[in-house]
Amino acid sequence: MIELKHISKWVNVGGNRVFLLKDINLTINEGTFISIMGPSGSGKSTLLNVIGMLDEFDDGEYDFLSQPVHKLKEKQKSQLYKSHIGFVFQAYHLIDELTVYENIETPLLYQNIKSSDRQAIVADILDRFNIVGKKDLFPTQLSGGQQQIVGIARALVAKPKLILADEPTGNLNSKQGEEIMEIFKQLNEDGVTIIQATHSEKNAAYGSQIINLLDGKVEKIELK
Amino acid sequence: MIKHYLKVAFRNISKQKMYAAINIGGFAIGIAACLLIALYIKHELSYDSQNPEGNRVYRVIGIAKMNGVEHSVISFPAPMSKALMNDFPEIEKVGRIMPSSLFSGAGSNQIRKADSPENTYEDGFCFADQSVLDILHVPIIAGDKSHALKDPFSMVISKSMADKYFHGENPIGKIMYFNDGTKRPIKISGVMKDFPSTSHLQYKFFISLAGVSFWNGEQETWMASNYGIYLLLRQGVNIAQFNKKITNDVLNKYMIPTLEAAGRTDARALFSSAHLYLQLLTDIHLKSYDIEENVSKKGDIRFVRLFGAVAFFILALACINFINLSTARSANRAKEVGLRKVIGSPRNSLIKQFLTESLLYSFLSFCIGILIAYLLLPLFNEIACTQLTIPLTKWWILPVSFISTTVIGLTAGIYPAFYLSAFKPINVLKGQLSRGSKNSGLRSTLVVFQFTTSLILLISTLVIYRQMQFIINKKIGFDKDQVVMIQGTNTLDKQTASFKNELLKLPQVKSVSVSDFIPIAGMKRNGNTFWKEGKVNGEGGVSAQNWVVDDSYIQTMGMNLIAGRNFSKAMSTDSQAVIINKAMADKLGYKNPLGKVITNGNNYTIIGVLEDFNFESMKQQISPLCMFLGNSNGIVSVKIKGKDMKKTLAAISGVWKSFLPNQSMRYVFLDESYAAMYADVQRIGLIFASFAVLAILIACLGLFALAAFIAEQRSKEISIRKILGASITNVFTLLIGNFLKLVFISLLIAVPIGFVLMRQWLQDYSYRISITWDVFAISGLAVLVIALSTICYQSIKAAITNPAKNLKAE
Repeated sequence: MIELKHISKWVNVGGNRVFLLKDINLTINEGTFISIMGPSGSGKSTLLNVIGMLDEFDDGEYDFLSQPVHKLKEKQKSQLYKSHIGFVFQAYHLIDELTVYENIETPLLYQNIKSSDRQAIVADILDRFNIVGKKDLFPTQLSGGQQQIVGIARALVAKPKLILADEPTGNLNSKQGEEIMEIFKQLNEDGVTIIQATHSEKNAAYGSQIINLLDGKVEKIELK
Repeated sequence: MIKHYLKVAFRNISKQKMYAAINIGGFAIGIAACLLIALYIKHELSYDSQNPEGNRVYRVIGIAKMNGVEHSVISFPAPMSKALMNDFPEIEKVGRIMPSSLFSGAGSNQIRKADSPENTYEDGFCFADQSVLDILHVPIIAGDKSHALKDPFSMVISKSMADKYFHGENPIGKIMYFNDGTKRPIKISGVMKDFPSTSHLQYKFFISLAGVSFWNGEQETWMASNYGIYLLLRQGVNIAQFNKKITNDVLNKYMIPTLEAAGRTDARALFSSAHLYLQLLTDIHLKSYDIEENVSKKGDIRFVRLFGAVAFFILALACINFINLSTARSANRAKEVGLRKVIGSPRNSLIKQFLTESLLYSFLSFCIGILIAYLLLPLFNEIACTQLTIPLTKWWILPVSFISTTVIGLTAGIYPAFYLSAFKPINVLKGQLSRGSKNSGLRSTLVVFQFTTSLILLISTLVIYRQMQFIINKKIGFDKDQVVMIQGTNTLDKQTASFKNELLKLPQVKSVSVSDFIPIAGMKRNGNTFWKEGKVNGEGGVSAQNWVVDDSYIQTMGMNLIAGRNFSKAMSTDSQAVIINKAMADKLGYKNPLGKVITNGNNYTIIGVLEDFNFESMKQQISPLCMFLGNSNGIVSVKIKGKDMKKTLAAISGVWKSFLPNQSMRYVFLDESYAAMYADVQRIGLIFASFAVLAILIACLGLFALAAFIAEQRSKEISIRKILGASITNVFTLLIGNFLKLVFISLLIAVPIGFVLMRQWLQDYSYRISITWDVFAISGLAVLVIALSTICYQSIKAAITNPAKNLKAE
């Protein structure tokens, strides 16, 4: 599904080239659950953003579902990730002006799905995550764990093949974190590919592969 | 989708109440101002637009240079219309009006029905040919339309006059007398609809010119010009060529030969600069401001343009607020933009969303703007001297409002929409949200634009105000205070002298003068050409006013003799004497004019020289003037003493009643008439002041919000500076420094523009102030103080906030 060949990304600081990612080679098959680990600044988020096509890379090749991402234009890239990738963030990043229901509905609006279909899909997801009772609340009225569940629900609503989660439990207490990880596990069993970046060994253990990053380089890959 | 956009827009408005209020408030004020101006402009442009043949109806204008100054006139000799009709097949119809109050009947009259003894004063009389009714499509609602003015002594009156004098009766065929002239009964032959307020003519009575001759041979002479001429041309006439043809025809075939026959050898030179041109009916109202006439209701196309510009600028100011606040606030919206893009929003959808928001703003503002305009309309009407109404019932109001709302919304929204929708999601996710503080270059430019506009308006207001003060307080060469002018005294006839004597017996009366010639623009005037003794024709003539006054005129008007003496009844030779003004003496080239003789066919000896006094508007130079002793009894001027005006007027009125029990006394005060001459300047001043206030208000609203956002955005920086030891004063200076710089730049731009504009405006006045530096200092200081107080609150608030608070939140 995902094939990264010699991916590098750098910034120039005062004439020196500082690598954020250096010669990353990765193959990720559909249906896997990958945890990316590493200390702060090791390039976890950058790698996720590159995979999610939100960020550029400076060198190497990236094929997503057999499409050469490095050759695509901005519009085509956004079309690609729009239909196949769902994002979950550490800071939830819900739209404050929209209710729970509307936050989840928004991705569908942008895919021009009919109003009646949208209602059905959103209702289904609300049900699945047990948040029907909260659908008319605004994000600020929810706890962090609940906001993250909404974030996941929103990431899933457009039925993506891949979920990219950047420290999804970073702002949560351990019980809430566990709940989120259980959800991911369940999703993975349903066939969704998941890539998460995390600090926590315990959360990383949910993945079927753990990729360790250090200074922008893959240090080791553990298979379970 | 649109529902989604609207929903988000509404939530954003209700979430950011201050921001929304400032945006909507500013917009609404701007829209209200524009709406009022648009109504005014529409009204001004709608003059004489009802005539179905309006594109072929013209008025004849004559232009000639006299003493180096170009004069435009609308009065022509009586036989000219017939001559034009005979000479040019291009003309379909031609008609004359004779509005000059010099001859009996036109202007104002005391009138009465044949069966009623009581006289009533009316104005709005004019002699006219039948064809004028046809050319101007005057709607005749009773009587024979095509013969209403065909017979001598027939008259068409307006509907409201018919209702006033013949309520419930049929006025056709009824007889009326003018000024008790029972020998000349006037028969009403038609009733016309009242002229609409948007007609350049506003007459209530048209008297037939058929069979009229104001003196022997008057209808045939080319030597006197008293007639206005209207033409209906045939289709497809080339006006530029036709102007040349009629100029050539009238001058070479009629005017010059006539004058040469009368011995004026210089006739050809006299008319060398003269030409005729045809003014389109629909141009009369707005493009006659420099034509010397008070026949038509005159507007000024320059005001219309000026107002249009003002409306544009005020709306621009409001749009700038929107642009500035939207982009300044972008940090708050950046997260939303980034997220929406991450979850799949294409850019154009975001643009649409932001445009929806600005459209919603403009729509809400429009509703409030209409309300404000509705509430301000009476005030505006009073200031601008108009009777405008908001045409809420007209069908076009909806589409026009809708389109303007959309245009305003899009204009204000398009830049922020593109700017905001351009955020890259990755920057948002990385927490680089502070892009709002960048791009301050554009924002500063726009703020400078706002303050420059406000300053220019303020400078203009000050200059206009000062010119007005100058006019009111200038030494004008006569004393306008405490003079009552009693009008319509010609009906006293032979009793005038005894009326004057009775008035002089009143203890409150200082002096009394009988003369129609009053030093106020628009009063009776009479021009003639004078030569030094011995010459009667040819070069060296001085055209001058010749005023008929009595021996107490100079005293009553408080004019100053700088040489010689006043007229005296005791000296019988004074009937051949003349008192001239200084300008006349200069023009004649006399250092010591006393005893010299001037002539216009008759010889007059100069017995006195008057200090120059302004008898026309200050827009004009004081021209040569001669005074003669004689009888001109339309107006009796009374100079009074003492403070009790009411009692004095009652006493004068008592004398009046004893002479003319059937006629009520009409009077005006000289100083009020003088002030009325400059009512338009005062009006412009007021209008400028109002718009200056509006502009400053809108600019300050924007500044206030901008200061708030910038203080908010820099809160972290401020906190760190404070922890590092910055005092409250340091921080405060830091925050206001930038804004003050902008106000200074505005001042630098506004001063030269304001100076040039106002110097241009002052060129209209022969007597004017010079623009001094303090005008700019005062305007600059005022705007500085206002801007400073606007941003002070926000800046102080930011400066005294506990730094721990802001840093904890990071």
